[in-house]
Parts: sequence; structure tokens; C-alpha cells
Amino acid sequence: MNALEIKNLHKSFKSSFLIKQYHILKGIELSVQEGEIYGFLGPNGAGKTTTMKCILNIIYPDQGDILLFGKSSRQASSRSRVGFLPEHPYFYDYLTPEELLSFTAGLFSMSSAEIRKQSAELLELVGLTAKKDIKLKKFSKGMVQRVGLAQALIHNTDFVILDEPFSGLDPIGRKELRDIIISLRESGKTVFFSSHILQDMEMMVDRVGIILDGKIRKEGKLTELVSQGVKYYEIVFSGLDAQLAGAAEWTSQDGHYIIRHTDSNATNHSIRLISEHKGVIHSVTPIRRTLEEVFLEELNHA
Amino acid sequence: MKRTHIFILTLLFIALMVIAGFLQSDYDSRRNYFAEQGTFVTLPNGKTLKVLSFGFQNLTADMLFIWSIQFYSSYHLNNRYLFLEHIFDTITDLNPTFKEPYMVGSWIMALEKGDVPMAIRLLEKGSRNMPDEWIFEHECGFYAYKELKDAALAEKYFERAAAKPGAPSHIARKRAHMIYMQDNLEYSYQLWLDILKTAGDDRFARSAARNHLHQIKFEMDKQNLEKLIREFKAKRGRFPFILEELVETHMIKQIPKDFGGDDYVYNAQSGTVTAHKVLKWKKSY
Amino acid sequence: MLRTIAYNTFKEAVRNKVFYLLVALGVVAALSSIIVSMLTIGDKVKVLKDVGLASIDFFCVLIAIFTGINLVYKEIDKKTIYNILSKPISRSIFILGKFLGLALTLLIALASMSVIYYLFLWLAAGTVDIKIVVYFFLLYLQLLIITSISLMFSSFSTPILSSIYTISLYLIANVTWTFNTFKDQLKGTLETVVSYFFYYILPNFEKFNIKNQIVLKMDLDAAWIINAVLYAVCYTGALLLLSILIFNKKEFK
Repeated sequence: MNALEIKNLHKSFKSSFLIKQYHILKGIELSVQEGEIYGFLGPNGAGKTTTMKCILNIIYPDQGDILLFGKSSRQASSRSRVGFLPEHPYFYDYLTPEELLSFTAGLFSMSSAEIRKQSAELLELVGLTAKKDIKLKKFSKGMVQRVGLAQALIHNTDFVILDEPFSGLDPIGRKELRDIIISLRESGKTVFFSSHILQDMEMMVDRVGIILDGKIRKEGKLTELVSQGVKYYEIVFSGLDAQLAGAAEWTSQDGHYIIRHTDSNATNHSIRLISEHKGVIHSVTPIRRTLEEVFLEELNHA
Repeated sequence: MKRTHIFILTLLFIALMVIAGFLQSDYDSRRNYFAEQGTFVTLPNGKTLKVLSFGFQNLTADMLFIWSIQFYSSYHLNNRYLFLEHIFDTITDLNPTFKEPYMVGSWIMALEKGDVPMAIRLLEKGSRNMPDEWIFEHECGFYAYKELKDAALAEKYFERAAAKPGAPSHIARKRAHMIYMQDNLEYSYQLWLDILKTAGDDRFARSAARNHLHQIKFEMDKQNLEKLIREFKAKRGRFPFILEELVETHMIKQIPKDFGGDDYVYNAQSGTVTAHKVLKWKKSY
Repeated sequence: MLRTIAYNTFKEAVRNKVFYLLVALGVVAALSSIIVSMLTIGDKVKVLKDVGLASIDFFCVLIAIFTGINLVYKEIDKKTIYNILSKPISRSIFILGKFLGLALTLLIALASMSVIYYLFLWLAAGTVDIKIVVYFFLLYLQLLIITSISLMFSSFSTPILSSIYTISLYLIANVTWTFNTFKDQLKGTLETVVSYFFYYILPNFEKFNIKNQIVLKMDLDAAWIINAVLYAVCYTGALLLLSILIFNKKEFK
């Protein structure tokens, strides 16, 4: 079963005074398989947050079906295995992290022993054990985000939805979050997150959905999307005259030469030539399309 | 939320409101709000309410006044006059220059409850608070004459009312009539002559003045003539055969005619004088 | 689930400085009745009772209104509502939980104020009037209705407007009874229907206000109290349903 399935999702908003309608989601189709990390990619205003709110029934779709583990999103029970971290998380600031987790768990009707155990584990996971008794009023943004992640995971959530979780984090924070998300997948959970920072996505997603102007333009495995073509192979070498390497052009950098070939045959040919001439090959790298390029391509098509 | 759920909840909402309405109605039927005097024992007086209304005295006065109109229209309520003066005192303390409560209050007091002194107290308060208004003294004069049958008191009020700015001309007429009713014929005759002189285009005023002048002159002349007739009888032992005999005997220079210029009618048997037209404002006429 | 939200609402209310301020002011005002009673000639105890009851009444109503109008609005404004709605909890339970939380808060506030008041009355005047307990009970019912009104407005309106509407309804509810005779005296059908409609729709708090009965020692019968309880239950229930219906319609962009 898919953790999430969206079919033909439409949503429009009316601006308060004008009769004009803003058609935000124009027929979203996507699916997230159990146990994978799905990256929801798109520019600002494409409809990422709107889609997530529809999934959680915070706003009501005009048209379309959303299924969470096979259950319609319109039912409250569809969210019993779902955790959500919004883009700018805000929690009751008069509570401590421990109290917040206790409150959240209470909404799932867990036993108090279970709550205590899970709270301790999650606080450990997000690195807030030392601060569990300080009121959230005093927390920094990064700390609030970590608490948010913890509350999204309580009650053995199987499917975690994160809205722009990486925004505003420093490189260390980003790495920590990446590690947490990957460990979630390892424990069998499904993660669905949105971002417009492509490097983060590239490093960990299994599948990607690119949303532009209210529609999914491209969806599929990351490896497939980016390997639809190795752009070129790049050979870095030194120790011989560049023109002998069998390439029409070359560049030089720090005493090394760099040549490029678009197909593997020519690459192999150059490698043989360099070896024959007793040159030193430093690296042979297939330069693939980055996610960024895939994305920009879609952007240009639209 | 499913359509059916919305429908059920809406029905339930309506049902609960309807039940609440019935409960309220049931409660109301058992309560007799106004029979409980306690309600008004706790109505503070005007000065206290002024403070309590936090600057909204006029509004409070309005509300209290509107309420009192409903209340005093409920004819089925017994004992509703118990705090009549207190209520209208409070309203007029809150807003001393609000004319209607004085008027309506005095009507209820004088005409419905039948307590004219109470009404007059309220009206006098009105004239104290609004010294330029003619209406309060006018109403007092009306009650003094109609209900208290006190022409002297009524005359005082009408005199005061007539002196206020914008007082309509009929007040002076009423005053003149009160003076007549106190049998001060000469003075009232004078006043009516003034009224006739200053009536201008007012046909009603002129015709009223003429009527009054006719009646007053008639009474004055009648008194005079009948006095002379009695003197004649005392001297001659008989009533004069005709009025001219008085002239012949030099008791009077000339037989007066009535205000319209007609002759008076003389009854030689009884020695009484009467006129073609007699206006019966006084019982004796 | 219901309990969790209720308890959390209670915690929030009780950790709010304004709440403590109002309770403290209520107690101070009630105790100041001693000073006021010293200025009276005659029945000091009556004045003591009056001022004390009026202060508690006034401040509890303030708590009901000013905490109530923020109940839902604050969650929407601060966006903590997303945390709740993204959980498998129905919106109806959320509203009910908020209501119960505030009801609990008011119970604690009223109970503590009334205990202090009773203690004080006993010390100052040596009397303990059972009727006053009934008064506090009826006051609590009235507070529940006020809470449900302010909660309802909170689910769709900003605090400023909600407070204006709620306070207006509270004031109206205290004078609705005066239109009891008025509505029967209207001539036209349309006017009669409209005034009957509004007379029964608008809340009517006269039955909860037994200050006169206490002061003048009139009798309260069981029918009165039962009627008051049922009325409060029905009216509060209706308003909660209305709040649920309104809140279910809302979308949070």
C-alpha cells in the first residue's frame, strides 16, 4: 500500500473582496511508497504547503482524492499514523518540551508509561534531553524546530510530513536533520518533505516530485531523473602534451589538464592514449545532470 | 464534516434553542415580575443612577422612559402606580432637559392615577429645569382649572406661562378667562379688549375675544342694571316698566347695549336683565 | 483526547498573568466590602453581602469573557492550531475540550473566591447563609453560558470584536426580562413575531440573579433551580453546537 496517494487534487482560494479565484492546485497527482523518502520540490508559491494542508485536512480540497495508508484524508483517523512539522513551527510557549510531548501523546491516547518512554527517546534523538524542563518561551528557532520534530514523531508515527524543514538551519543543523531523516527511513518510516534547497534533496531522497504552477511536472526515482543522461565524462591528467590525449579541446588548471568527452568510447580512447604516452590520470568522472538542472529545465518548459 | 453530520447538528441546535425558549416561557409564567416590589426598592434614585450610568445618562434616561411607557400601558398590572413618582423623578434627574417624561409622566399621574398634586410637582420640576418652556406651566394651569377647580391657581400658572418666550397667544386668553372666572369682571374685560386689539388676523382669537367681551359686558351690565332696578323698586315700590325709566329718573345716563350693539332684554315681572346670547361658562349663568 | 485538550486549556488559562490579576482583584473587591459596610448606617451585613457578591460576579464574568474570546482565536493566530488539526482529532472534540478547560478554570476561580468570601463573611458577621451557595451555583451556570458565547465568537472573530459582541450580549441578557410584557403588547403580526423571536433567542440571565431573593429573603423553590439548570444546559449546548458547526467550516491558509 502506498503511504500517500493523491489523485486529481484541485484547490482554489477566493480573495476576500474580489470575486476572482486563485486556482492554486490544478490537478495534483502523486504517490509516496512506504518506507521511502520523498522530496517535494518546487519554487515558492507552487502549492507545496497548500498540498500538505490538504493532505492533513486543514484545508478542504475542491476536488480530488487523498488517501493516507488507504484511508480518506477526510477522516480524522487517517492521521493516526501521521506526524506533521509546519514551516514556521509554533507551540504553546507556556509548556516545556516534556509537557508538550505529553500533551501531543495525549491526543493519541497513549498510556503514561509509553508516553514517558517515547518522550525520553525522542528528546534524545533531537538532542534536547538537557533542556526538557525549560519553557518553550525561552527556546531559539532551531530548538523549537527540534521540539517540533519530536512531537511529529511521537506515537510511533509511520509517515512524517515536513514543510521546508531545512529552511533557516545552519550547515550543522542541516546535517543533523539529514541524519535523522535517513535514520527514520532505516527504521521503516516514510518521510515526505518539501524544500527548494536541491543539494539537501539530492543527498537523501528516493523519489522526487517536481511541482510547478499547481501541477506535478515530473515525478520519479532520483536516480532515474538525474541519470537520464550523463552529460559528459571529465578526465583530469598530467604528464604529457594535452593535444596527444585525443581531444579537440582542453583546459588547464594547477598544472593539470582537463578534457571532456560526451560518450564512453571516446573517453576510453583518451584513457588509452594517455596511458600509452605515460601520462598520469588523476580522475575520470561522469558528470551527470544535477537535480538543479532537471528542475530548471522543467521551469523553462512551463 | 459529512453532510449528514452537519444536518443532524443543525437540527440539534435548533431543538436545543427551542427547548430553551420553552423553559424561558415556563419560567416567565410562574414569575410575576412587577408584583414583586423588591424590584423597585432596588432601583436607585436619579443621582445614584447618574453615577452608575458612566456618562450615558441620556441613554439611560431614554431606556428607562421607553420601559416606563410599556410598563404603564400594561393595564392589567396591579399596583403599578406604587413607584410612579420615583420612576419619573429618576428619569428627569438623569436628563433634566428631556421634555417628554415630564409630559407623559404628568398625564399618567393626573389622568390615569388621578393624582393631580403629584403631576403638578413633576411639571413644576420641569419648569425649574427648563425655565424657558411655556408648556409646563400651561399644563399646570390646565390641571388646576379642570381637576382642582382652582381658577386663582390656574391664573397664576397661565400668567407665568404666557410670559415665557414663544408662548402661544391662547395662554393669555386662558388667563383672561381665569380672571373672569374669579369674578374680576373689570380686569378681565380690560384683558380681553387688549386681546382683541392685538389679535390681528387671528380670526379665532377675535371671535373668542368678542364672545368673552360680550359675556363679560353682559354680566357687568346686568349687575349694574339690576342694582339700579332694585334701588328703583326700593324707592318706587315697583320694578320699572321699561329700562328707559331708569334714564328718566336720572339713575343712569344711558341704557347700555350689549357688546354686539343689541339691546338687553328686560323682564319687568322679575326685574331681571338678560341678553339675546348668554354663554354659560359659569354655573350661575 | 477530550481530557488532554481540556487540561491543556486549563493549564494555559491558569498560567496567564491576567487570570491571576482578575482573581486577585475579585478577592480584593469582595474584601473591600468590609470598608464599604462601615460607611453604611443600618444593615451592615446586607451591604457586606451585596458588595461582596457583586464583586465576585463582576470579576468572574470578566474572566469568562476575556479568557473565552482568546480560546480559539489565539490558536489560529499563533498557528498552534496546525499541531492540533494535523492529529487524528476531530474539530468537534477540540471545541468541546476548550470549553471544558475554561469551565474547569472558572470552577476553580469561583470556588476559591467563594470560599474566601464565606470565610470572611463568617468572621465579619458570624452568619453563614445557605442561599449564597445557591447563588454561586446559579452564577456558575450563567458563567457557562457566557463562556459558550465567547467561545463561539472566538471561533471566527478577532478578540476585539468578540469582546464587544460578548459584552453586549451579556448586558442585553440582563435586561431581556423587561421586554416580557412589551412583546405581548405589540399590535402587528410582524412586530409580534419578530419580538417574540428575539425575546426567546437572546439569553436571559434574570433567573440566575437571585440577589434580590437573597437580600429580601424570598423563597426559591426547586422548580426555579431545575428550570435554571435545564436552561443553562440547553442554551450552552446549543451554542457549543453552533461553535462546532462554524469551526468545522473553517479553513486555515
